[in-house]
Amino acid sequence: MRALISAVVLGFTLLLTSPTFADDGPATGDAGAETAAEERAAQFVGVTGPDAESIPGGVLLLTAYAIVWALLFLFLLRLRGLQRQTAEELERLSAEVQASEGR
Amino acid sequence: MNIRARQSGNATVWALLLFATLALFGVTLYMVFVVAPVEKQMGIVQKIFYFHVPSAYAMYVGFGVSAVGSAMYLIKRSPKWDALGVAGAEVGTLFCLIVLLTGPLWARKAWGVWWTWDPRLTTTLLAGMIFAAYLALRSMGSAGEVEKRFAAGLALFGLIDLPLIHYSVQRWRGVHPTVITGKGGGLESEMYWALSLSFVAFTGLAILLIWARASAERQREEAASLRFELMHR
Repeated sequence: MRALISAVVLGFTLLLTSPTFADDGPATGDAGAETAAEERAAQFVGVTGPDAESIPGGVLLLTAYAIVWALLFLFLLRLRGLQRQTAEELERLSAEVQASEGR
Repeated sequence: MNIRARQSGNATVWALLLFATLALFGVTLYMVFVVAPVEKQMGIVQKIFYFHVPSAYAMYVGFGVSAVGSAMYLIKRSPKWDALGVAGAEVGTLFCLIVLLTGPLWARKAWGVWWTWDPRLTTTLLAGMIFAAYLALRSMGSAGEVEKRFAAGLALFGLIDLPLIHYSVQRWRGVHPTVITGKGGGLESEMYWALSLSFVAFTGLAILLIWARASAERQREEAASLRFELMHR
């Protein structure tokens, strides 16, 4: 319980202090200046006709999707290995428990 | 309800969720690659967005579940909450890795660089590092009570970073796009539907993975307590 209270106190302290120090604050002087959020891309527009690309986006896209599926596959493989290993160990331990009870 | 009936019910819910998630992924892929248009400025590479953003959401789900499981473990000291904490941290880290690897591929085309110390990128990396530390701590042999409690505290510390990731694009200067906002997104209708379906599919996937991993962790705990019992006979 003490660890939980300490973690919560630390959490609130960090939550309150870090944004305060890191915040750039509102823009001063220029009344028409954009805020930090407004300066960024805020819209994705669909293309209407064929459009040439300078960097081949297809390769980057394919790599990204391959990464997603490869990582998911590796995770599932690891999970399966873990489950199999635990099941075998549980079986072995149960047999040992039964053997020790029979003695 | 007896244990066998509950297990059978769980298996049915699991199978239904698995089927629904797989079907949703099929529809999502069709929406992303066939229905949603190519983005005017970035071209086809913008389609990374449909897996990158929902992966970030699944990361929030994983880390959030880990923090809840950890908090409950610190209060109740029940192994089932600890298992949930571990499962959430692992699944959250998996999706964090996906976010941190797919993001740079999009950034190379959009910003001309693989990585920049933008507030959202930096805070996401920080969350990944906190939960990687959690997993490293838990993987040191069979974790004892002290390690489990310390790891639970670390998960709660990691939780603080999640709102920082979310609000960093609004509060601090950076280059990360803000197409999804409370005022409505800057997305065309087909893009919006592809993204929405992807969000649901990734949420289903995150729940399935957390469920499976928590179940494996509970079995591992069971084996450890059986081993302990045998050693002290």
